[in-house]
Amino acid sequence: MGTTASQLPKDLLSEYQELTFLTKQEILLAHKRFSELVAKEERSSNSLRVPMEKILTMPELKSNPFRKRICHVFSTSDMKDGSLTFEDFLDLLSAFSDSATLEIKSHYAFRIFDFDDDGTLDCRDLENLVNCLTGETDDTRLTPEEMRQLINNILEESDIDKDGTVNLSEFQHVISRSPDFVSSFKIVL
Amino acid sequence: MAGAKAHSRGAFLRLKSDDSNISGLTAGSCRRESETFQDLLHCLPGDYQDEGHYRDEGPYSDHQDKEPYRHRPKPFLARDWGPNLPLKNLPLSMQEKRSTRDQRQPQRLSIGCWESWRRSQLIARRRLWEQVSRAMCGMQPWRKSLHTVEGKFGVGVKAYFTFLRYLLYLNLIHCLFISGLALTPALLYRKNKTYTGFTGNDSVLDLLLGTGFLERSPVFYGFYSPVGLDGPCLNSPLLFLLAIVSLLILSVFMVVRRTVIGYKHTWMLRSHYNLHMSYKVFCGWDFCTQGPGAAKLQNSLIRNDIKLVLEEERFHQRVSQRTFRKWVQLYFLRGVLNFLVIALLVSSFYLIYYATMISKTMKHASWLLSLLFEYLPPIAITAVNFLLPHLFRHISGFEDYSLTVQVNITLIRSIILKLACLAIFLLFIHRNGNMVSDQCWENQFGKEIYKLVMFDFLAFGLNAVLVEWPRKLLVERYPSCSLLRALGKQKFLVPFHVLDLVYSQTLTWVGLFYCPLLAHISLLKLLLVFYINKFVLFHCCDPAQRMFRGSQSSVLFHFTLLFGLLLAVVALGINANAFNPSGDCGPFADAGTIFNVTDACMETLPGPAQRIFQYFTSEAFALPLILVEIMFLTSFVSQRQVNCRAIEGLKDMLVMCNADKRYLVKKHSTLLRALRTSVSAGNSENTGHMSPSRFQPLFLRSASAPSGGGAF
Repeated sequence: MGTTASQLPKDLLSEYQELTFLTKQEILLAHKRFSELVAKEERSSNSLRVPMEKILTMPELKSNPFRKRICHVFSTSDMKDGSLTFEDFLDLLSAFSDSATLEIKSHYAFRIFDFDDDGTLDCRDLENLVNCLTGETDDTRLTPEEMRQLINNILEESDIDKDGTVNLSEFQHVISRSPDFVSSFKIVL
Repeated sequence: MAGAKAHSRGAFLRLKSDDSNISGLTAGSCRRESETFQDLLHCLPGDYQDEGHYRDEGPYSDHQDKEPYRHRPKPFLARDWGPNLPLKNLPLSMQEKRSTRDQRQPQRLSIGCWESWRRSQLIARRRLWEQVSRAMCGMQPWRKSLHTVEGKFGVGVKAYFTFLRYLLYLNLIHCLFISGLALTPALLYRKNKTYTGFTGNDSVLDLLLGTGFLERSPVFYGFYSPVGLDGPCLNSPLLFLLAIVSLLILSVFMVVRRTVIGYKHTWMLRSHYNLHMSYKVFCGWDFCTQGPGAAKLQNSLIRNDIKLVLEEERFHQRVSQRTFRKWVQLYFLRGVLNFLVIALLVSSFYLIYYATMISKTMKHASWLLSLLFEYLPPIAITAVNFLLPHLFRHISGFEDYSLTVQVNITLIRSIILKLACLAIFLLFIHRNGNMVSDQCWENQFGKEIYKLVMFDFLAFGLNAVLVEWPRKLLVERYPSCSLLRALGKQKFLVPFHVLDLVYSQTLTWVGLFYCPLLAHISLLKLLLVFYINKFVLFHCCDPAQRMFRGSQSSVLFHFTLLFGLLLAVVALGINANAFNPSGDCGPFADAGTIFNVTDACMETLPGPAQRIFQYFTSEAFALPLILVEIMFLTSFVSQRQVNCRAIEGLKDMLVMCNADKRYLVKKHSTLLRALRTSVSAGNSENTGHMSPSRFQPLFLRSASAPSGGGAF
């Protein structure tokens, strides 16, 4: 795969370094991994979209319960099908990289957890989120009673303006106290 | 204010750690918090006037209506949206970043070689550090197993296995000391190398009773007779004594240290413990997790954690709803039950006394009966120790404590029972005059302890093989049988297993002097116990329906261990003072008492050194020592008080900060909502490109943008 690395022009590489938190090596590695997902003859184009199903075969994302959400959030596709271009992919890796700031990470975390894309975490979002965390099958889910109690607790703690939903600043308020959020919100190739 | 206080406790939550006991507030989180605080301050109305000149920029007009959500920058960044903030810090897609850059059109800083190299070095260094620390963690044995246990059975069960591992380390150190200081000289410098191994009379039974070939082996005290090493200060008896004494002192240090650190930990958490649920949910998932197995494990880990917290909360709710009448009833019930517990304890002590008496008086010709009578005290002790803790467990179920307290209280009652049983047993051995008149009473004593250790292990192993395993098979084979279904698979009862560990460790300490290889035996035993228990846990146990918290319990585990150690030290001290070593076996055969060995060494020292040592061991030294200790203690106590006050002050400050922050966030949100309604009103008139519900109220810029028209 050594040949694919040279496919990235130098100025593009330095632009990517400017616009993302990734280092040169990481960008090259990302390019290599991304090219592996694409058929050989299509590799030349930079604006090529890789469908979500293919992205999700990567071992880094495969077992993540939020994998689809991640693709949707980072996809710039007009079809809303979660497909990623190489630049989207770099955005993804940048947000999940070691050096991304807490602000960036918490922003994207919020959007990943916002399942219905309405800009706030409401009860439905929270329920989805908890189900993702505990496992989706029936025997791993919390009981409805527990779920209700849990969501009430979360809203009581985080919903500062008491409007029944958690918005971004409230979300970041919670996240900012977590010492290890930055280290756990991380995907490294 | 109360709500704010509850909130602030979250910062203390991170102190909790069941294993490492590493404390210290996370400076990072505090710093971050203050930064966010400033961020919030900046993005409040004061900044609105700055917003004006962004309005018409409309940097993302080409993509805007397709995916409006994505295109909004964060409000926090609004204040330094200027060229100071690197483009990569904007939550935008690459294309948008490019257009933003073109909008800004500042000096396009290209990343030079040096900068690039420096950055990659920085990251490489951080990675290396992470790798090293991960590798250090990986060096610990059974890390993976413990992780799996935690995922499947919760932190409480993991705390047990961590405790087991700790004991293993402890015994490993014991083994090294004994091997180096006692066993090696004894083997190397033996006068007559005629080690009589197996003879015709030996049988497998000797392995259980500690007689025959085992009695002549290095396992027992009698083997370590004074050997060729003949320096006044370098001889085998002195080394033997050094090994045992240093071991005990080291153990005291290790256990006390562990207990104190853990105690400090729980003390800090006490009454500041807040169940920060949103934190668990929002930051719960570790995105580094790879592989379906690990993901499943993490799922159940989070589930267990959440269930545990909910359970505790429900319990506290129930407690707060108790009426006065209920409290009175409860206390009465608890009083009665405690009385019952004491009665049970006393009667079990009497039973052991009775068994010991019978064992000493009855002598039978038949080997089976004599074996039975030989083993009667251990059988009685084990039976009592087996039955009563279960009773205690059920009793504590009636007392309506939270599950963690239930576990702890059962543990305390059972540990009192177990150690008291052991103490009584030792006392009876003492009382038994004929033991001291025996040829080598140390060996006899060692044998008693050895029998206890062996029997303890046998009972454990047989229980696993003959009870748990068939029970599991039966339950699985006949799921329809109602009796079996009611019986069910067993639950892993942490307090009992911890109890076993503490008991066997106490036995090891008590017997160490008389049976030096007991350390090696117990190392082996712990290894076996780990694997057997792991097998039982994974194959024969159901995960408990209710979880309990591990962090407080592990402190208690070490505390009970300290109890055991104290018992052992007291027993050894009494033995050493009350009885002279027997004249024809063991390292101290030539010396009148144990301490003559040290005296002989002392006499070779030069005069001043001798006088100094004498002063240190005399009563005259005790008074200044006590005075100095009092001084130190006083200073520590006052230091502690000052620290306490400082901590309280800091907590108050934290609460204040939080209240401010919450106030600001609230104000921010209401302002935004007002904006949102006005915007959506304007929007529906204007373009109708997007529905108001999709509007993200938080993003200040976007909220103020619509007046620019084209943005939407």
